[in-house]
Amino acid sequence: MTSPLVHIDGISKRFGDAVALENLSLDIAEGEFVTFLGPSGCGKSTTLRILGGFERPDTGRVILDGEDVTNQPPERRHVNMVFQDYALFPHMTVQQNISFALELKGMDKSAIKRRLDEITSFLELDGFGDRYPGQLSGGQRQRVALARALAPDPALLLLDEPLGALDAKLRGQVQRELKSIQRQTHKTFFFVTHDQEEALTMSDRIVVMNKGRVEQDGTPEDLYFHPQSRFVAEFIGETNLLSGKMRGVDGEAVVMDWFGQTLRGHAPSGVPTEGASITASVRLEKLGFHKARPDLPNAVQGHVVSKTFLGSRMAVDMVVDQTDGAKLRAFVDADTGHSIGDDPIWAAWDSDSMAVLRD
Amino acid sequence: MNRRVELNRGNRIFLACVYWAFVLYVFVPLILMIVMGFKDSKFIGFPIRSWTLDWYTGVFSDAEVLYTFGYSVVIAILSTLISVIVGTWIAVLLEGRKFWGRAVTFGLMVLPALVPGIISAIAFRIYARMLGIEPGMGAIIWAHAVHNVPFVTLVVMARLSTLPKSQIEAARDLGADPLMAFMRITLPYLVPAILGASVFCLLLSFDDFVRSFFLGGYEPTLPVLIFAMLRSGMSPEINAIATVALVLTAAIGIWAERFTRRANKESQT
Repeated sequence: MTSPLVHIDGISKRFGDAVALENLSLDIAEGEFVTFLGPSGCGKSTTLRILGGFERPDTGRVILDGEDVTNQPPERRHVNMVFQDYALFPHMTVQQNISFALELKGMDKSAIKRRLDEITSFLELDGFGDRYPGQLSGGQRQRVALARALAPDPALLLLDEPLGALDAKLRGQVQRELKSIQRQTHKTFFFVTHDQEEALTMSDRIVVMNKGRVEQDGTPEDLYFHPQSRFVAEFIGETNLLSGKMRGVDGEAVVMDWFGQTLRGHAPSGVPTEGASITASVRLEKLGFHKARPDLPNAVQGHVVSKTFLGSRMAVDMVVDQTDGAKLRAFVDADTGHSIGDDPIWAAWDSDSMAVLRD
Repeated sequence: MNRRVELNRGNRIFLACVYWAFVLYVFVPLILMIVMGFKDSKFIGFPIRSWTLDWYTGVFSDAEVLYTFGYSVVIAILSTLISVIVGTWIAVLLEGRKFWGRAVTFGLMVLPALVPGIISAIAFRIYARMLGIEPGMGAIIWAHAVHNVPFVTLVVMARLSTLPKSQIEAARDLGADPLMAFMRITLPYLVPAILGASVFCLLLSFDDFVRSFFLGGYEPTLPVLIFAMLRSGMSPEINAIATVALVLTAAIGIWAERFTRRANKESQT
């Protein structure tokens, strides 16, 4: 196995009494698009700032490309950053902004010119070179910020919620662009966001952070379908949470008791002890509706109480019989939704769709 | 978003009258002063029977007046240079930094601007004698510079506080060491504030009487010269000198105001 590009070794950081990071260890491979996802104050930005050299960890080390950079100032690291507010220099033109780092590196004029042409045509910024940042739109500024950070060819690119300032329509487009830029350049992207959708669409790997610790680390699909904790299940996407008692193990499946019904799921975070109170998560689109009891490990009967048309799909809420009015919510396509009447109906899902969570 | 207070017609007219009365009150003396500079008579006052430019030609051919004007300008420029360098330096050290005793440091920094001119002038005079500094140009420049530093610091600090932290971090991120980041990012950002403060310092120094009077040697600055001339009686020549000075300072002030406003606008993204 080749050594990772970034090796974060047990870093901790406090600001006064507040713990920002607690003993974080992590490896990032070259060419990966890693997203740090979490609510504000979870430690994702602190990690980014430590990688950039703007903060020093209280303990632990950061190894970049085999070199310990923990105490290196930002100007000496082979890392560049796209700032949340872009931080373009207002008194410099687009061209001057992008070549700022190249100039400081002492590159000669013709080399700077070549690199500048290369990067501006790659990011479709031709013709903007003589403009000032104040004369650009939000999307253009974002691209200039990206061009400026990519120009010195960094080993690692840090992105600090760079899409936050864009409007919703543009954001989707920029997400696709960013992903394709990352693929074409084979650069390692370290992306920080609180927007789970952004994380899901772009990342090769998502690290969910909460209260200074890693909550879960995996591929987008892994996190979405096999959340290990209640926090991850709720933070990413919408989900049904079922609280019950651990009954035991049946082959690969974990068996739980939910209002007297026997349900089968899997436990990505390890099998709980028998008799323990547990919570399981079932994604809304994993629930299917059936007129008669289907041949699936999990099936419960109930009544549909409301249907909400959402365009591409319909949200259906049902109350499950023989419970204290426990509700399940499901996404179905509109036709299926309309075909569901007032008659009792079965909701069913397989054991792989239900993840038993760690609290 | 209309935050203007709605006024009825009566109130509007009343406020307009008050405003124009105030403008008259401020400008009538100035206008009288300018007008009297063109009067063909040694006695200031109405009626004016004939007009002349003689007082102006007199001023421009009066070697002492011209020399004194130049002397005042040199003092203004040199004291401003010192104030700007020291004031900007203090602003950079104080702004955005938290340290023990910051409030006291800040207060001490502002104090020179608040001490009454007569008191600081006497204090300077005594101090200068103790140090063996002769009254004259150097002493005046020193006193003006000290008095003006707080204005520079306050203006530059205000500007500096609006510089996003990410600007400096971005410069560092792109390979600039702290000094380079300061020279390439912070300083250009401060230019409008520094220019504005410079003009203000120039005008303050040019206008100063008390410090120049107490610390001056045998050569007077322009305000001191005018004062001396007054003692031998009011003459329209004084009006002419004052008018020239007024036009110059107003022109510089207006130019600086426009320049800083434009520069401020440009740097907003």
